[in-house]
Amino acid sequence: MVRIKNRYIAVQIVPYTPTQTLRFSDQTLTKCLLQNVKKYYGVYGLGLLEHGFRVKYCNERTKIAIIRCLHRGQHFVSSMLPLITLIGEVRAKFRTLYTGATIIQCNKFIIKHQRQFLDRMMGQIESAKERQDIFKRVMEFDLDR
Amino acid sequence: MEDTKPFYDFSIPYNKNATVIRAILNELVELGYKTIAIEQSFDHSKKDAVKRGSEMFPEPYNIENLRNEFKDKLKILQRLNILYVDANVSHAMSVSLNLRKFNLIAGQPKTDAALTHCCTTFNGDIITFDPVAGSKLLVNRKSLQVAVRRGMFFEIKYAPAIADSNNRKDMIKVAQNYCTKGKSKNIIFSSGALHEFQLRGPYDVANLAYIFGLSADQGKNAIDRFCRQLFLRAESRRLGKTIMFVKGKGPIVYSDSSDEGEDDDVQMDEIEPIITEPATEDEQEIENYQPNKKRLKVLE
Repeated sequence: MVRIKNRYIAVQIVPYTPTQTLRFSDQTLTKCLLQNVKKYYGVYGLGLLEHGFRVKYCNERTKIAIIRCLHRGQHFVSSMLPLITLIGEVRAKFRTLYTGATIIQCNKFIIKHQRQFLDRMMGQIESAKERQDIFKRVMEFDLDR
Repeated sequence: MEDTKPFYDFSIPYNKNATVIRAILNELVELGYKTIAIEQSFDHSKKDAVKRGSEMFPEPYNIENLRNEFKDKLKILQRLNILYVDANVSHAMSVSLNLRKFNLIAGQPKTDAALTHCCTTFNGDIITFDPVAGSKLLVNRKSLQVAVRRGMFFEIKYAPAIADSNNRKDMIKVAQNYCTKGKSKNIIFSSGALHEFQLRGPYDVANLAYIFGLSADQGKNAIDRFCRQLFLRAESRRLGKTIMFVKGKGPIVYSDSSDEGEDDDVQMDEIEPIITEPATEDEQEIENYQPNKKRLKVLE
């Protein structure tokens, strides 16, 4: 039986200027999100969310993060994500990919999403040399998105 | 009827700079939008009413090259925003021919009287408001319900809400007003983004419904189903009462009545209903893209 209901939100961070890697740690992301919650919903929202709020996963290369929050407060997070334009010192926006109840489902979705993205990239390429080139870049995580 | 796919974004302001608008459109494709409308504004209150009966509204911008470029990725519609202060606009609208070239027509009232007129008798599809001017105009309950019954849609633009905190407050105020007065019926979300960075994905926009006082279901419909309804309504306003319409794919060949059906461009199964239902022939639109000719026919 589930005692504490959580929600896991998978987000992608899209920077203003395309860059290779983002220097984000879990802490900076958490701090930025909670600051924004305070800005938009005040002390009430912060008090509701702060317990149980955590950035579970943050990938600098693929720019994907998973946020955990309580089921009760998920609207507070999801409705304020589109309004954020500044993360730390970088101009960037969030793009919600998926909202799930377990982290395994989130993980599944992210793998599927990355696979789709790769397929699309591969489909656009014509020559074999370029394909090899992009394959090398994928292995080194050198993608602009 | 014409096919449109979700998701919808009915307000992309036109930009003369081709690279800017191309970047916006690319971002829209990336985010998963399928049907969008290029917006064009026209201020009716500034024009003098000297030239009566003549054409007042501008021609739509030529966006053929954009249409060709994003042929199978996006369906691009055109929309006109009419800013006005009094009811004189309805006469100008009724005689205008250019207005039929736009897919969607939005009213942007500047005064209270204009807002009431916009809700009750305005011959358009969308009621929008100016995010920069603030929230002095709040619709009252009666006219809002009339507007809902007529099938008009209220528009909420989210890009100004992202850019500036004052606008955000006004936007929330207006949206909550729709919520208290009319249970947030007939509301659509659109972007109005001047830069591709202000665009958000469709599910993000649906999440914004929470702060605008809509339920989750309404929020989802605001970028999906209601927009389809709006599009159908706009088409029916443009074409008149229509049961079906036939659209030519290639160049149209007008042949004599003697060898009809022999070397016609229109396929046989498409033309069959016309022959079997001669009673409804006057209601059919054979040529969708020549509204001028059709208009003249009506005037005769």
